Amino acid sequence: MPNQQASQLNRVFHGLADPTRRAVLERLSGGPAAVSELAEPFRMSLPSFLQHLDVLESCGLVKSRKAGRVRTYRLTPQPLRVSEGWFEKQRAIWNRRLDQLDSYLIDLKEQK
Amino acid sequence: MSTTMIQPNSALDLVLERVVDVPSKLVWAAWTKPEHIKKWFTPAPWTTVDCEIDLRPGGIFRTVMRSPEGQETINVGCYLEIVPNEKLVWTSALGPGYRPVIRAAGTASCEELYFTATILLEARGAVTKYTAIAMHGDEATSQRHEQMGFYQGWGTTLDQLVAIAKML
Repeated sequence: MPNQQASQLNRVFHGLADPTRRAVLERLSGGPAAVSELAEPFRMSLPSFLQHLDVLESCGLVKSRKAGRVRTYRLTPQPLRVSEGWFEKQRAIWNRRLDQLDSYLIDLKEQK
Repeated sequence: MSTTMIQPNSALDLVLERVVDVPSKLVWAAWTKPEHIKKWFTPAPWTTVDCEIDLRPGGIFRTVMRSPEGQETINVGCYLEIVPNEKLVWTSALGPGYRPVIRAAGTASCEELYFTATILLEARGAVTKYTAIAMHGDEATSQRHEQMGFYQGWGTTLDQLVAIAKML
């Protein structure tokens, strides 16, 4: 389970690692939208944009549905919810604690 | 002289390894000085508002955590092993002076969960590799802990993650 969760988190972070994809997520947090609507603000070819949507869908952050000729995307925030299991929670807590430690240590070092 | 071997059980224990770009002395200080512990020890949005450290075997390790709603929880543990800049071991199952902890049934605090934590530091030039091992007793302890729901609200939401990712 912990490994499964870790790999899911890795996929999620991969999904979030791109500004276009983050902008799409932001847009979708306002409600479902069609591909044409999502693509509009971006200056890129449709195939490239569709690749971003594929990445988001494969990491479970969005889901799409086709009705006629229109494909609509919506947000699926479930993968980001921390697992209900006790062990995964412990892992999440420790990871977060150590994240805080590491950034604190870097701050300390820079102060010196 | 020789220290006890730690044998983690993958079903109950966590082993986390990190490499951080600071000298081991600094990592050691962060784990052993109250003024440092207060800055990072408790995962946000909880905070550590007080910390007491008596850095010797049997010495107290006490932290007071405050929830976002202002509820405070005291955690008391005891150091078991101290090798400066190399190894730190403490447990929540014993209080100061190795006195076994007795806890009232039904108290809803994180103190219910006994654990032993080991921090191993390894200097690699200017960089430090450290390993944090959290060992837990048994499933019954862990399930009791789960029922308390203490850690609800520490979950990461999409909004938070997106906000963090934007700052990267």
